[in-house]
Amino acid sequence: MTVSQSIAGAPVREWSRIKYPQSLYRWGGIMLALMFLGYSIAYLNIPLERFIGMFGRVGTLITDRYYPPDIEYVLDKGYLATVLDTIRMAYLGALFGMLMALPLGWFGAYNVTPSRRFLYPVARFLTMGTRAVHETIWAILFVTILGFGMMAGVLALTMFCIGFAGKLFSEEVEGINMGPVEAIRATGASQLSVMVYGVFPQVRVAFTGIAIYTWDVAFRAATVVGFFGAGGMGWYLKRNVLQIETNRVAAILLSIIVLVLVSEGISAWARARVARAK
Amino acid sequence: MTAAASASLDRYMAARGRNRRRRWLIYLAMAVAAIWCLNDTVVADTDWERIGSLGAILSAVGEFIGIDWGLVPNLWQPALETIMVATLGTLLGVITCIPAIWFGAMNITPYAPVTYPLARLMMTLSRSIHEIVWALFFVAAVGLGALAGVLAIAVRSVGFIAKMSAEAIEDLDPKPVEAIRAVGGNDFQVFLYAILPQVLPAMISVIIFEWEINIRRSSILGLVGAGGLGLVFFRQLNTFNHPGVTTVIAAILVLVLLGEIVSHYVRKAVI
Repeated sequence: MTVSQSIAGAPVREWSRIKYPQSLYRWGGIMLALMFLGYSIAYLNIPLERFIGMFGRVGTLITDRYYPPDIEYVLDKGYLATVLDTIRMAYLGALFGMLMALPLGWFGAYNVTPSRRFLYPVARFLTMGTRAVHETIWAILFVTILGFGMMAGVLALTMFCIGFAGKLFSEEVEGINMGPVEAIRATGASQLSVMVYGVFPQVRVAFTGIAIYTWDVAFRAATVVGFFGAGGMGWYLKRNVLQIETNRVAAILLSIIVLVLVSEGISAWARARVARAK
Repeated sequence: MTAAASASLDRYMAARGRNRRRRWLIYLAMAVAAIWCLNDTVVADTDWERIGSLGAILSAVGEFIGIDWGLVPNLWQPALETIMVATLGTLLGVITCIPAIWFGAMNITPYAPVTYPLARLMMTLSRSIHEIVWALFFVAAVGLGALAGVLAIAVRSVGFIAKMSAEAIEDLDPKPVEAIRAVGGNDFQVFLYAILPQVLPAMISVIIFEWEINIRRSSILGLVGAGGLGLVFFRQLNTFNHPGVTTVIAAILVLVLLGEIVSHYVRKAVI
């Protein structure tokens, strides 16, 4: 928006929201981003005409093939048993992951870590590494090493939760009030006592919230680790995808959505309760 | 000590004891549930014969140790593809989530009883279905290739970006909105000059955070036919080149670390 105003005797000046050097950087940045965009569309061979035609095709795909969902299939006993398995797998993965993330959250918090030189970078690297590798890759790796079954799934989810909860834990610990910590340090307490009596009471409520949230996220991940043979409902999904039983796939997806909604509701309720119990 | 004070102290100690007992009961219930789950799922479902002894596991893990340096020159192109898919997917996701943000913020939604639940449904759909499943769906719709990956990433990003941005809009200061209205601005001008400047830093920070997560996601979409590092990973695994698998994982690590560093500095510059 430019506004010209003329006051008697004063030269006419243009008003603009962003002035010269900033506007140059801004336009330069936008141009660079657009160039990268165009280059990557060309590089990835993305057929734009197919993208435009996609909307109609997705519509017919849903109406012709995925609708109506085969609801009876997901009410089958065998399927419901795998749903229970998935929930248990998510629970175990989240529990073990969190037990391991607790020390990592302690070592990886810069303000209370026992050794800034050694343990801090190690803990940071471990949480970063376990989080950077996607849960499906963990699942595939554990399936290759340990064979098909729930154990691989539980371990994959454990790795995923270590990274996820470890990062949130250490961020929470870094935000604490250092007063009690210094008070306990001044009494000559050991590092562990400082953690137990100075840090932990301050973060217990937040940790519980994070724990519930981690379980929620682990459940979402647990629905697909079975895709690569690590147990749970993912295997049903894969089988039906491969057999192009699209009505059943739609039903399974619906069941996943319902379960995620329920777990989100439970997690929101539990977190609100924990926050109130503070 | 007066009687009143000691009575209140007693009450306090009793409440503390009750809380403590309740907490230990919760821990106990969690432990029992864990044992039950372990017994039913892991112990019953594992083929212990197949795993064998600890030595067998260690030797299986040992096969993965080492880096296949010969593979490294072949990783540049897939790594670039992965970043491009993540970037394009995030951008497309940002464009797709504009209606979700508009409908999903309680204070600007056009007709709350209909549009607000609609936006919430969009967000939940996007967040509850895993990227692998979205990718399979889009591979069926547009065929194999990077486009399916871009679409999957885009749809998967909508939930998080829309949720955080809608919350930011709900928290905004209404005074600039009134000011722009008072000088005769129309709806679009209100949006451009009153709402956008307030939420833009938060939105950009969310978008960059999502981009960082999307690098991690796009690195596995190759498993279902959408190109990038995941495809190389899958090929190395299927040809039993286990050091090659480790190499690809290391490459993913480096990529994600780069994304985290970039995101850290850009977010710092924006805020």
